[in-house]
Amino acid sequence: MRYAFLFFSVVITFGITGCSPKLASHVSNPLTSLTPDEPVAFLDVEHQLPDDLIKVGSLRFQDSGFSTDCSFNSLLNKARIEARKNGANIVKVTDTKKPDLWSSCYRLKIDLYRYNGDVAKLKQYELKLD
Amino acid sequence: MNTHLKTATLGLALALSGCATIISGSRQDVHINSYPKEARVAINEIDMGPTPLQQKLKRNQEYTLLLELEGYEPYITTLKKKFNAWYLGNVLIGGLIGLVVDPITGAMYQLKPEEIDGQSKEGTSYTMDNGTLYLTISMEVDPNWEQVGQLQRKP
Repeated sequence: MRYAFLFFSVVITFGITGCSPKLASHVSNPLTSLTPDEPVAFLDVEHQLPDDLIKVGSLRFQDSGFSTDCSFNSLLNKARIEARKNGANIVKVTDTKKPDLWSSCYRLKIDLYRYNGDVAKLKQYELKLD
Repeated sequence: MNTHLKTATLGLALALSGCATIISGSRQDVHINSYPKEARVAINEIDMGPTPLQQKLKRNQEYTLLLELEGYEPYITTLKKKFNAWYLGNVLIGGLIGLVVDPITGAMYQLKPEEIDGQSKEGTSYTMDNGTLYLTISMEVDPNWEQVGQLQRKP
C-alpha cells in the first residue's frame, strides 16, 4: 500500500513538473509577437551585440530539482519560443553554468532584444539537435 | 573471478536501470515520410534533409517539425512527449531505482504527434511499431501556385 502510494506520488510529480527546468522571466518591454518564420539569432557569451537594440526582457533557466530536459540546445530552443512571443529576435546568453556535481542541468541567464537589422548577418551560435 | 565480476557488473547495471530505460532506451526512432516525398524537414528549425527521413530523438524533449516543399503549403506539427507504459513495469521489476532512473533518462516518455481533441492533426497519420514512430504527412497543394504546363518524357 505504502509502495503503491510512493509509486503514484513519483508518477504524479514527474507528470506535473514534466521534468522541465524552472524558467523565471522578466519582460519589461513586450513587443508585437514574431511569426514562426521570422529568424531569431542566438548570441552566446562571446558573441558581440550589435548597436541600436531594444531590450525586451530577460530570462533565467534554473534546475527545478526534477529537471531532465535542460541541455544547452534545449534551453535555447525554449528561449526562442519566449523571444518570439514577446517580439524579440535576439537571444543573448549573458551567463552560463555548466552541469556539475550539484546539478545535471545547464543554468542560463538570457537577455532578449529586438534588432531592426538582419539578424542572419550576426555572428551567432548555431543550434544543434541533441 | 572474471565471471563473477561480469555477473556482478551486469547485475548492478540492471539494478541501477529503470524498466522503461532497459526496454525502450532514452532515444526513440522516428521515421518521417511525406506525400509527395522529398519535402525538406526541419526539426526545431534545424534542417535535417528531405523525406523519407529517420532520426533518433531524445524522449524527454518536445520537437517542432516543419515540412516544406515547393508548390505545397508548409506543414508544422509538434512531437509531444507522452507517458510510456513501460514505466509501470517498475512496479514489478524496476523498483524504486527504476522509478527515478526512467524519468532522468527520459525513458518514461514516448514521442507522439500532437493531437487536437484526441484526434491527430489534419494531414498527420502515424503508427507505432516496437517503440518506433512512423509518421506520414500529407502535404496540401498551395493554391497560390498555378500549373502552367507539364513536361513529358519522349518515348
